[in-house]
Amino acid sequence: MKTSRKSKVIIYILLTVVAVYFLAPFVYMFFTAFKKEAEAIAYPPSLLPENWSWQNFADAWNAQPFAVYFKNSVLVTVGTTLGQVLSCSLVAYGFARFQFRGKNILFMILLATMMIPWDVTMIPQYMVFKSFNWINTLKPLIIPAWFGSAYYIFLMRQFLMGIPKDYEEAARIDGANAFQIYWKIFMPIMRPQLILIAVLNVITVWNDYLGPLIFLQDRSKYTLALGLASFKGVHSTQIIPLLCITVIMIIPPVIIFIVAQKYIVEGTSGSIK
Amino acid sequence: MKRKIGLLLVLTLTMVTVLSACGGSGGNSDSGGKTKVRFASWDNAEDLDSQQELVDKFNVSQDEIEVTLEAYGDDYDTKISAGMGSGDAPDVMYMWNYPSYYEALEPLDSYIENEGAEYKDNFYEALWAYNQIDEDIYGIPVGFTTHALFYNKDIFAEAGVTEPTDDWTWDDLQAAAKTISEKIEGVTGFSYQLQADPYDFEMYLWSNNTAYVDEAGNVADNLNSAESVEAFSVFQNIQKEGAAITTEGGGTDEFRSGKTAMYIYGAWSVSTLDGDGVNYGIVDIPAFADSGREAVSILSSSGLAMSKDSKNKEAAWEFIKYWTGEEMNKERIGYELSALKSVVESEGVMEDEKSAPFYSMLEQSTGYTPASFLVDDWGSLADDLELALERINNPTTLEDPQTVLDEVAGAH
Amino acid sequence: MKRRKELKKASPYIFISPWIIGFIVFTAGPLILSLIMSFYDWPVTSEATFTGLGNYVKMFTEDAQFWKSLKLTLKYAAIFVPLNLGIALFLAMLITQPVRGVKIYRTIFYIPAVISSVATAIIWGWILNGDYGVLNYLLSLIGIEGPNWLVDPAWALMAIVLTSAFGVGTMMLIFYTDIKNIPIDLYEAASLDGANSVKQFFSITLPIITPTILFNVITSIINAFQQLTLVMLLTGGGPLKSTYFYGMYTYDNAFKHHKLGYASANAWVMFVIILILTAFIFRSSSAWVFYEAEVKGQKTGKRRKNK
Repeated sequence: MKTSRKSKVIIYILLTVVAVYFLAPFVYMFFTAFKKEAEAIAYPPSLLPENWSWQNFADAWNAQPFAVYFKNSVLVTVGTTLGQVLSCSLVAYGFARFQFRGKNILFMILLATMMIPWDVTMIPQYMVFKSFNWINTLKPLIIPAWFGSAYYIFLMRQFLMGIPKDYEEAARIDGANAFQIYWKIFMPIMRPQLILIAVLNVITVWNDYLGPLIFLQDRSKYTLALGLASFKGVHSTQIIPLLCITVIMIIPPVIIFIVAQKYIVEGTSGSIK
Repeated sequence: MKRKIGLLLVLTLTMVTVLSACGGSGGNSDSGGKTKVRFASWDNAEDLDSQQELVDKFNVSQDEIEVTLEAYGDDYDTKISAGMGSGDAPDVMYMWNYPSYYEALEPLDSYIENEGAEYKDNFYEALWAYNQIDEDIYGIPVGFTTHALFYNKDIFAEAGVTEPTDDWTWDDLQAAAKTISEKIEGVTGFSYQLQADPYDFEMYLWSNNTAYVDEAGNVADNLNSAESVEAFSVFQNIQKEGAAITTEGGGTDEFRSGKTAMYIYGAWSVSTLDGDGVNYGIVDIPAFADSGREAVSILSSSGLAMSKDSKNKEAAWEFIKYWTGEEMNKERIGYELSALKSVVESEGVMEDEKSAPFYSMLEQSTGYTPASFLVDDWGSLADDLELALERINNPTTLEDPQTVLDEVAGAH
Repeated sequence: MKRRKELKKASPYIFISPWIIGFIVFTAGPLILSLIMSFYDWPVTSEATFTGLGNYVKMFTEDAQFWKSLKLTLKYAAIFVPLNLGIALFLAMLITQPVRGVKIYRTIFYIPAVISSVATAIIWGWILNGDYGVLNYLLSLIGIEGPNWLVDPAWALMAIVLTSAFGVGTMMLIFYTDIKNIPIDLYEAASLDGANSVKQFFSITLPIITPTILFNVITSIINAFQQLTLVMLLTGGGPLKSTYFYGMYTYDNAFKHHKLGYASANAWVMFVIILILTAFIFRSSSAWVFYEAEVKGQKTGKRRKNK
């Protein structure tokens, strides 16, 4: 699609305006992380720090056992992402490419599970996990992801329904069974979407602190997000360490995104035969 | 179809069994025979380190009990409620909202009695009222603070205004605040919290010889009495004069950065302000000119409570004793005021000019019971009071206190 | 051969079995429990007493805040959903443009979604500060006196909308993935036929991404109705309860007032509302959503004959 020079200019202007809106708060946060606390809360607020206090980051990292938290966060993120990608694609395929009795009702139930706010099912869930003896382990955070989450199943199902029926028909003529069709034909086609789900899951899980808050007790099991939240106490908030850790926490998901970007757009050259 | 359902059922049953089995020891079984006690704290990361050290010290000092420190930070209430709701609350917890939680707590009277009379007497009497419901004590006081007036000496000097004294009235404060606000660019004389906690705010009513409710718990004619209205109005009036701003938090940040010259707060900010090097002083809260009495302060006392469902109550009690004992009190000086008379004496706390005002406020404040302990439905009253305070103090609304309070009194 | 046929019939169920198992084990129990709880008066700290429909009756007839929060949340959703959908789609289109450096912009647009909600709320609190916030400072440069965003009840809702638009990155990413994977030849064919880019958008892009539009509409409705964390961190439901969304109302009932039974009833009422709305949207979707898989046969040979 050729774009004229004029359109290009307009596009750049739009891109830049939006980028400023999105980036500004983060830039502000980033600079403030380097300030001393007194400067951070000063009125009127300054943009650049007077002195670049790199020590802030070291202090923040040492304020809590963040290395341990990091390990836990990675475990949970990798564990859930793998689980979601595998299970959601499987389930979505079932909903998208077959006709079967009870499909619509089951799908509505699936959607319905997204509609109950969590703070109300939190306590009953706690009791269920307690009966499994999973409280204070990472299991409640990881294992359910291997059984699919309504959100991603729904998304995958939408994507999968966008593929013409011919693919199954051709494969079935060749004698393939349903699972082979799923694994050998559809999964490769859906690779961009699978990567998308992986990226979305990483964002959600990496920053999730409600789950860890409720199900974990020992600080040795904490995730980064929960450690971050600990900087907010009942009486005061430690702004600087909070911002430092926030900045650090953004790095892994952004790296993952930059790498994943390439794969999300893979399909542009046209549908695979 | 039946076969498929059957298959599914078998699969599910298998999964559930496997999952329960691989739950195994979970996170909390006894290891090596030591009794485990879970201790929940609401402090932020900064204080957690020192708390962890103190917990470690306890663990090392004896062989039978192992205490784990759990940090919940700002979401403390959520976590505790969830724990209580599922019967899995920590053994030992920080507590201050007894009316809401006491039903899940273990009464401690028998434990206290076992320690002998000296044990109980060493605590300041006024604190027990804040840690008990009816006749049962549910928490051992850990520390407390009263509230006092902080003022910035440098700003007062710059504006040429005489510093506050313990004899000040609200009129004095208003005049000083106004002068400062007018004389110095970018500085406001006084600040107070916009979304004030109704629980704390009641102290101003006490200072003016009234309260939210009477002993029977009646709201009418108490909350909306003339004295009460005066208490609510005094803040609004200062704001209307342009001499006060409302703050989102307690006001410490604004005070630290030199944006305000005075604010009322507890002892929590003392070490922060010292760390910043602010040149400040502390005096009693101003009195109401017509009240004929000194100001009264609320006691913000936190205590250590025990869960009713705890499986290790004896061990929990040992730890509670330790955490509220003399050694711990000494460690916490500079952050909270000591609840133990013996420590106050031995450490000469009264002589310290930063602590003395709080103890003097303590003396003026014995014998008052917060409405939360007197009213059955404090939750709903507190909600309405919170909203009322907002309506009165929000700079964009500034509603008439009498009208607002009449409304609230009418609804209760 | 019969066994093969039976297996074939069983296939869909086997595919969806992970979810079914997970549902039974992890979700159904808590859901049913919370429904049962809604028929009880359950102060978290002590015994529960059965009240039947008492909670529901109280909600609808005695609790003025219920109606206020509900109306407020509906109002918020009515603004939030179309606005965010529009912005997400617009941005997604923007970052699919083949201009140099668009990759960097893509990453920039994505970053806000990755920042923890705690930090986001704090920063926006600073930005929106009435006296010293950056936003009002910028507005003053063009001669507008900005309102006291977080203190003035008349403006707090807009402040929330503004801040929640910040999280549009996720929806944008979903749209982007969908759009980017539309085969180029469709566009090429249309160009050859003389269609300009606007027409191409409406006749090719839009119809093909209707499945994801449906997804984003439904999920953002659910998000809007359940909005809690942002409001809790930024305004606490104030000022003067002007941002006291239904999610906060439920949360306070559960954890501040310790009325877990009542809160469960709150949640189930909201659930029914969302359910009805979603069912309605789904019903209508057959009219405007286009699923390739449901198309019988192929229209043009162009798509199929690809390398």
